[in-house]
Amino acid sequence: MKHMNWKTAAAVAALLLAAACSKQVERTQEVVAIAAAQLPADPSDGAWAGAPEHAAKMIPQDLVEPRLMTPTTAEVRVRAVTNGSDIAFRLEWDDPDQSDTPGPSKMSDACAVQIPEKIEKDLPDPQMGKVGKLVQVTYWRADWQASVNGRGDTIRDLYPNATVDHYPFEAKPLEKGSEAQKEMAKRYAPARALGNVRSGPRSVPVEDLIATGPGTLSRGPSLGAKGKGVHAKQGWSVVISRKLPEGLGPNQRTNAAFAVWQGGQRESGSRKMRTGWIPLLRKGQ
Amino acid sequence: MFDTNKCIACQTCTLACKTTWTSGKGQEYMLWNNVETKPYGSYPLAYDLKLLEMLDGQQWNGAKYDGKTIFESAPAGERVLGWRPEQQDYAYPNVGEDDCAGQVDTGSFLSLPHMNWFFYLARICNHCTYPACLASCSRGSIYKRQEDGIVLVDQDRCRGYQECVRGCPYKKVFFNPMTGTSEKCIACFPKMEQGIQPQCFVNCIGKIRLAGYLSKPGEARADNPLDYLVHIKKIALPLFPQFGLEPNVYYIPPIHAPVSFNRQLFGPGAGAAMKAYRNAPNDMDLAALLCLFGSTEMVVSRFQRSGETITGSDEKGSPLVRVPMREPVHVRPAVDAANQLVRINCP
Repeated sequence: MKHMNWKTAAAVAALLLAAACSKQVERTQEVVAIAAAQLPADPSDGAWAGAPEHAAKMIPQDLVEPRLMTPTTAEVRVRAVTNGSDIAFRLEWDDPDQSDTPGPSKMSDACAVQIPEKIEKDLPDPQMGKVGKLVQVTYWRADWQASVNGRGDTIRDLYPNATVDHYPFEAKPLEKGSEAQKEMAKRYAPARALGNVRSGPRSVPVEDLIATGPGTLSRGPSLGAKGKGVHAKQGWSVVISRKLPEGLGPNQRTNAAFAVWQGGQRESGSRKMRTGWIPLLRKGQ
Repeated sequence: MFDTNKCIACQTCTLACKTTWTSGKGQEYMLWNNVETKPYGSYPLAYDLKLLEMLDGQQWNGAKYDGKTIFESAPAGERVLGWRPEQQDYAYPNVGEDDCAGQVDTGSFLSLPHMNWFFYLARICNHCTYPACLASCSRGSIYKRQEDGIVLVDQDRCRGYQECVRGCPYKKVFFNPMTGTSEKCIACFPKMEQGIQPQCFVNCIGKIRLAGYLSKPGEARADNPLDYLVHIKKIALPLFPQFGLEPNVYYIPPIHAPVSFNRQLFGPGAGAAMKAYRNAPNDMDLAALLCLFGSTEMVVSRFQRSGETITGSDEKGSPLVRVPMREPVHVRPAVDAANQLVRINCP
């Protein structure tokens, strides 16, 4: 009898544990940013467990050419946390193929958060804003994440079997790592010489951008963008953080829109899955 | 302007460009200038055949094109009919080199459509009048300069979407994986701005190239070398005019290739152009002009023939170069009787 009691107790404990683990994720109709003392920087941070999840349905970008004609990413699951000065989003979507190596015909996985510059009733167009209605975009890329994670800045880091006889800027008498050598290397990398943020090794896998309509995306003032993406079997889990939208007080709302690119599906630029505007509530005192 | 009949595929142009512009990281595979052996050569692989197949048998009706351009054929959601080469398509930069050559009188091992001819086709960016790369870029990162028609990718604005790579039918825009942007031939604009021809032109061993500025058809000037060859003599033709981009590299078709093949590449004017080229020995102005190719590094805006000498001048009419149509011939007998010596050739 004692033996049976032990077994029953174990079964009850297992059931209780299972119930706790499968606790229903709180789903909300809007993105709710909960208050926390510290922003979670990692997608696996325990702080995310306390944030409700909004599953945003995605639609293909099909208004501006070139369009995405075949839907891919069905939804992006969004959670948000704010510490009162900054806001962090965690975006998760299904994509078993990790695409983080740039190359001809190779696109990178990516995602972005878009927020109107001003909190006002008359919203900018959800597709990149419009003239006079600026949107702020915080953009994360998988190949930048690989760079931040330690991938080197040579062609061999992308193509391990590559052999290169000679780069003119690595020849004598130029000393390795010298200013003269760096200066000459820039001559063969015009985008880097011009300071194009798309170009070169990264310290963060995200960038701050602004837009006033399709095709107008450009560098924006720094909103302190940070991010980290981790790929698992099912797909990506990416944290994007930035300054809290200006004027967004506790229990007030603005809007956010999200976009996802699957590199494996050759998505880049305007070929993307996107959401419309979704209310973003800053919860808290 | 390229005279295909003079090209020997020495690839000096390719290397002149490579060493000048594309020796950087991420540019290893790029050939802004390449020379491919036609009919089988192509870089990237099958760039031409693939698009011709996608256009699905478009037809010329005499001198009129009854088909659709790549702009008119654009599928829903696209600005142009295009495709993007895979990485491996760039892996064979000189595929088909010198295929197919030689006589096959005693029978051949393989049976191919073109058994005993080939020619070399040098290719750079065509700096098209209607560039498909420009049309494809959703960001407006590509622009065509009003002052000289050179098409450039703004390296500050480009975000590496590779739409231009997809859109260009000649596949002359390349994605740089190290800078994350797309790059292409810049027509050596720092040189052209000073009236000097690009690197691939001035380094050409075969003297097949002549750079300059072409007038609109109705404004052709008989003393402009390019106007004379393109608009007046109609001896130089664009590559794949049916794509609809009005490419600004003009080719004098190879006279030893079948006219049917030349028509496919250069349009319905190929037959007449081949005939005119063959007649050059009887056409003094044309023959003189062909001698001007590769004779100076400066851009020649005007030419004038006087007897058997052609003078190339700049826009203001100041002479830049004088070229004799016949080089003086000196015969040195193998045996020098005066000195009782036998001459030998020294390298």
